[in-house]
Amino acid sequence: MAEEVRIIEDKATPIKKEWEEYARKGNWTVKGYEMVRALSGPGRIEDGEEEDFMVIYRPHGVLYRHSYGLVSKFFKGLIDKTLYGTKCPVCNTVYCPPRVHCWNPKCRVAETEWIELPLRGKVHTFSVMLFSADAFLEMLPFVLAYVQINGADTALPIQVVTAPTDIFVGQKVRIKFRENRKGDLMDIYAVPVKGQTTPEDSCLHRNNRDIEHLNRDLENTYAFLNKRFGIKKAEVERRWKAK
Amino acid sequence: MSDRRVAILGGGLYRPGRVRYDNAEEGVAMAYKNMLNDFPNLDPQDIQFVQSSYFSDHLNQQLCMAWIVQDYIGQHRKGGYRVEAGGSTPLDALLNAYFLIKSGQYDLVLVVGWEWMSEVDTATANEFIASASDTDWDFTVGGFYNGYYAALETRHMQLYGETIEDLGRIAVKNRNNAVHNPYSQWRAEHGTAYVTLDDYYKDRIIAWPYRRWDCALISEGACCLLMGSEKVAMKYSNNPMWIAGVGMGTDSMRPGDRLVDWAYHGVYKAEEKLYPKNIEKPVTPYPEMANFGFAREAVKQAYAQAGIRNPLKEIDLAELFAPYDGVELCLYEDLMFCHRGEGKTLIREGVVERGGELPCQLSGGLTAFTHPVGATSLLQTLFLYWQLAGLIRKKLGDATLQVRNAKKAITTGHGGTGCQGGVIIYSRD
Repeated sequence: MAEEVRIIEDKATPIKKEWEEYARKGNWTVKGYEMVRALSGPGRIEDGEEEDFMVIYRPHGVLYRHSYGLVSKFFKGLIDKTLYGTKCPVCNTVYCPPRVHCWNPKCRVAETEWIELPLRGKVHTFSVMLFSADAFLEMLPFVLAYVQINGADTALPIQVVTAPTDIFVGQKVRIKFRENRKGDLMDIYAVPVKGQTTPEDSCLHRNNRDIEHLNRDLENTYAFLNKRFGIKKAEVERRWKAK
Repeated sequence: MSDRRVAILGGGLYRPGRVRYDNAEEGVAMAYKNMLNDFPNLDPQDIQFVQSSYFSDHLNQQLCMAWIVQDYIGQHRKGGYRVEAGGSTPLDALLNAYFLIKSGQYDLVLVVGWEWMSEVDTATANEFIASASDTDWDFTVGGFYNGYYAALETRHMQLYGETIEDLGRIAVKNRNNAVHNPYSQWRAEHGTAYVTLDDYYKDRIIAWPYRRWDCALISEGACCLLMGSEKVAMKYSNNPMWIAGVGMGTDSMRPGDRLVDWAYHGVYKAEEKLYPKNIEKPVTPYPEMANFGFAREAVKQAYAQAGIRNPLKEIDLAELFAPYDGVELCLYEDLMFCHRGEGKTLIREGVVERGGELPCQLSGGLTAFTHPVGATSLLQTLFLYWQLAGLIRKKLGDATLQVRNAKKAITTGHGGTGCQGGVIIYSRD
């Protein structure tokens, strides 16, 4: 019997075509070069001698075809605006991110069951990002948090859309779906539940000096956004209000 | 395990920098040549195995670069392979060479480590490094390691009360050590002036609570170490540095999973108890997202082998794999220099400063010395070798960093967000 694989939904053909065009621009071939005069040698700077180096520019872009495997249900769920986790029938651990097999050594790789989770959670910990990978630069500044979804025992990495100086550990959040969903965790984001007050012992808020410094560097980030992308501070602040 | 002893016999380095234009294999060759100068009795053909260490294939558009390097220095024919485990790569290379010698398979092994990280821009380098995180889950939300580690530190800060000022003290300490290390990137880029907490506060935040100064450098550099059994050690070296104990550990790939870390559950009860009463406990309170379980697991084995009961008293100095200043603080706890939650006290009281009871990162560490990933633990080990052999003045041209009569040292390595790592205890005698 031959093994049969069927594509039952195709949302990929346009990008495959686009990427073929990109690839034809020529991966691995030299696109330009510079001659650079720089220090050579293993020792201290004062011991180095200058040499001339030829430096080439060579691109490499790839389109991967990657299966989400047996947790595909979670990612298809994001597209369909449902948040799923899994539950171990032996030890009752609830996983979100989901695991199809329980990792509790006592459960001997038990198969878990899918459950629907509420769109509510709590910030377990966070970072305020003022620098990121190229693909996320336009989203700066943003709060990256690990959120424990209500009923789940693990924490999910997620962006919290809020003023960075308002975030705190233990903050209750609602999970929202973005308009254009593509099948990864960026399809969802969190917003703080209204009416919460910042606890006195919040590590971000303990010292006024720390908040002042964060505000100072947020201004630097706005200046960067304006210069690089023409994004104004007011537009960024609107993101946090339009929930 | 055989009772054969294994030693670091010495080594050489190629000065790391943000961008270097000599090639990786040329840098390794220069480090190797630098090492050979210290071993007039060594016939390179005596080396029996080459253990290669480099982290990323993406950074240089090259798979199997170890083959290029090994033949470039004329060490092909002998056995050799590369190990790779993110930031843990160079420590794993040292451990692997140790096991190869300990087992009796070989007596003399060359360990070569390098990384060339500036062929892509900083954001892309961070992206490639972040592809060592779970790319289906952690990477997609725009974090990369600055963000993950910052979130881990936020959690520890919330639980145990260290402050930005404590992180700043660590950052300042490491820079003020690095100015005495002529191979440090800090000194190459900023000169030899000391810095203060006020300077730290002026530095830019990139992922709160971390500023640029709190984060590991991007580096290009190389290091070679010669390791041997006790059978050959004295033939090549007057000052062998013995490996007194080793250990390894792992934790979950995704840090968010550590809230229900069944493999750790109930294993470290004392640490679980030191969880603040006013904060709701996750199912597994240790290591949680606050501490490094792999390090505790590893150091427990290493201390047992080395017979260390009171690390703070018995260890003279530490070179920790701390890519972020909060990691250094947490490792004080996980390596049992102090109890969980007291890391802040060690920096506040100067215990880990130069001249303190257990100075940490005298080289400047990953944030002020250098971090060419595949070479990092080799460079830290070479620095410890110079310390235990009393060679700091000779090698650095300045004795400020020399710990007098240093006998025992510890180094750690780790990859990911503490997903995998190890510990090595070195001893002069």
